[in-house]
Amino acid sequence: MSSHLEKCARSLLVCEKSSFMNEASRHETHVCKHSFNYKISVLIPECGVLPADIANVISHFKSYFLVRDLPVYKFLDAKFLDTVKKGGFYALSYKTRIDEDNVVALLSSGHLVLSLDKDTYQQLGLEGKPSEYKHRKDMRYVVTVDLTDKSLVPGTKRFQQVLLSLKERVPLKSDFLLTRCPPGAEEDGELQALLSQHTYEECRPTVISRSLTDIPRPSLHPSDLRGNAHSCTPVQFLEWLGSVNLNIRCNNSASSFLSTYVCPEPCATVNKVLLCTVTGFIPPEDVYALLQELRRCLAEPGFTDWVSLTVHGFADSPVSWGAAEHGFLKGGENFYNLVCFKNQDYWLHMATGSQDGCPP
Amino acid sequence: MDEEPSSYERVAYKNDSVYHYMKICLIFGNERKPLSAEQFKQLIISGLKELYGEVGAAFPFDVLTFDQFVLSAILRVYNNGLVKLWSALTLIGSCENESCAFRVTQVSSSVSKLILVLKSTGTSCRSL
Repeated sequence: MSSHLEKCARSLLVCEKSSFMNEASRHETHVCKHSFNYKISVLIPECGVLPADIANVISHFKSYFLVRDLPVYKFLDAKFLDTVKKGGFYALSYKTRIDEDNVVALLSSGHLVLSLDKDTYQQLGLEGKPSEYKHRKDMRYVVTVDLTDKSLVPGTKRFQQVLLSLKERVPLKSDFLLTRCPPGAEEDGELQALLSQHTYEECRPTVISRSLTDIPRPSLHPSDLRGNAHSCTPVQFLEWLGSVNLNIRCNNSASSFLSTYVCPEPCATVNKVLLCTVTGFIPPEDVYALLQELRRCLAEPGFTDWVSLTVHGFADSPVSWGAAEHGFLKGGENFYNLVCFKNQDYWLHMATGSQDGCPP
Repeated sequence: MDEEPSSYERVAYKNDSVYHYMKICLIFGNERKPLSAEQFKQLIISGLKELYGEVGAAFPFDVLTFDQFVLSAILRVYNNGLVKLWSALTLIGSCENESCAFRVTQVSSSVSKLILVLKSTGTSCRSL
C-alpha cells in the first residue's frame, strides 16, 4: 500500500510546566488570550460533590446573549463602539462554519475579524489577507478591522469606507453570540440596552455535574511533565481525560473484541471522581476566576492532590489564541488543559489541529 | 509530592499521538436495523475485508463508545490505518440487505479534542 496513505494531518501539542508562584508564569496570559470558549470541564479526583465555593464561582459566570440577524455594521454604531472600546466585549457569529460560510468575531481587544469566502471578500472592498490555510488557490480571506483605531471614529474617511462596505456593498448579517466582561465596575444592563432594537435571548451557561465511581486514575508527579519516570506521558494523560469526559470504559482486557483501551500506567483506582462541565459562551475572564478558585481550594488541607481544568474553544471560531488564525479541516479542535497541583505547580497542555498555528 | 516549585519547562510535540479517533454514525435509508456494538464492529470489519482483503484489513481498531439508539460510535485506530478505515467506512453501503451509510462527523488525533455537539452553542456538526 502506498506510504502516503499512511500519513495523517499535522497536530500539535504544547506542554508547559511552571508554578503559579513564579512571577514570570504566563498562565494568565494563556487563559485570557483564548477568547472563545464553549466548554469547560473541571475534574476533581477524590471528590463526590462540587465544593460550594467552586459552584458559587460558576453560578456567577456571565450570561450571554443570542442575537438574531444582527447586521455587522451595527458594531460601528457610536454606542456599540464606545462599549467595545471599554474592552471585555466578545462576539462570535452563531452557527456559521469556518470552512464554508462567512464568520465574524469581535475580540476584547476591539479587533473585528471577518473570515470571508472569495466572492464576499471581493465585493466587500476592505483590505485583508489570504487565509493561511488553503489548498491550492486562495479561496478564503481574513479581514481585520481595529475598532479602537483613532482613525475609525464617526466622520472620518476610513470610518465611512468601512461603513459603506459593511452596510451597502455587502450587508453582512448573522446570528451572534455576545457577552461582556466589563473591566472594573459592573455595568449590568448596558448590553441589553444596546440590543434593545434586535431580537435576542439571554442564555445562562449550562452546568452538569457527574460523580463517577471506581475510576482508574493515572498517577501524576508535578516535576515529571514528560512522563519519564513517575507519570504517564502528556498524550496518554489527555487520552485518559477524554475517555473520562466521554464515558469511555478504560478497564478492558487485551483480548476484548470491541476495545482494548486501558488507563495508562502507573495508575490507581479512585473511589470517586467529580466531573463538572459548563457549556455556553464563556469569556476568558470567567475561566480565570474559576482557575483562581480551584487554586484556592487546592491549598485547603484534605483536598485532592491535583485538579484538571479543560477549556475547549469553538471549532468554528476564526481565531484560537490571540489573533492567530484558526481553521477546521477535520475537527477544528483548539483546547487547553491545566493540571493544578497542591504545591501550586501546574501543567498546561495546549493542543491544536492541522489548521492552526503553534499555541503561544 | 514535591514542595519546591517546579522550574519552567516547555515541550512541543508534533504528531505525537499514535492513534486517531473518529466520531461516526450509521444511518439507514429505510428501515433501521437494531445493532449491538459487536454487530456494528463486525459490519465495519466486513467492509474492510471487502475493500482490502483478509490481509489488508488485518489491523486493529477499537470501538470506544457505541450508542445503540442513535447508532453513533467513537473509533480509535492507529495512524497508519486511518485512511484504510475511513475509505472502507465510505464504501459500506448496506447492512443485512438494507441500504445504509456511515457519516464521519469528526476526526482527531486526541480523544480529548472530540467535541460534543451542542445546539445551545452552535457547535459544528458536519459530515466530513
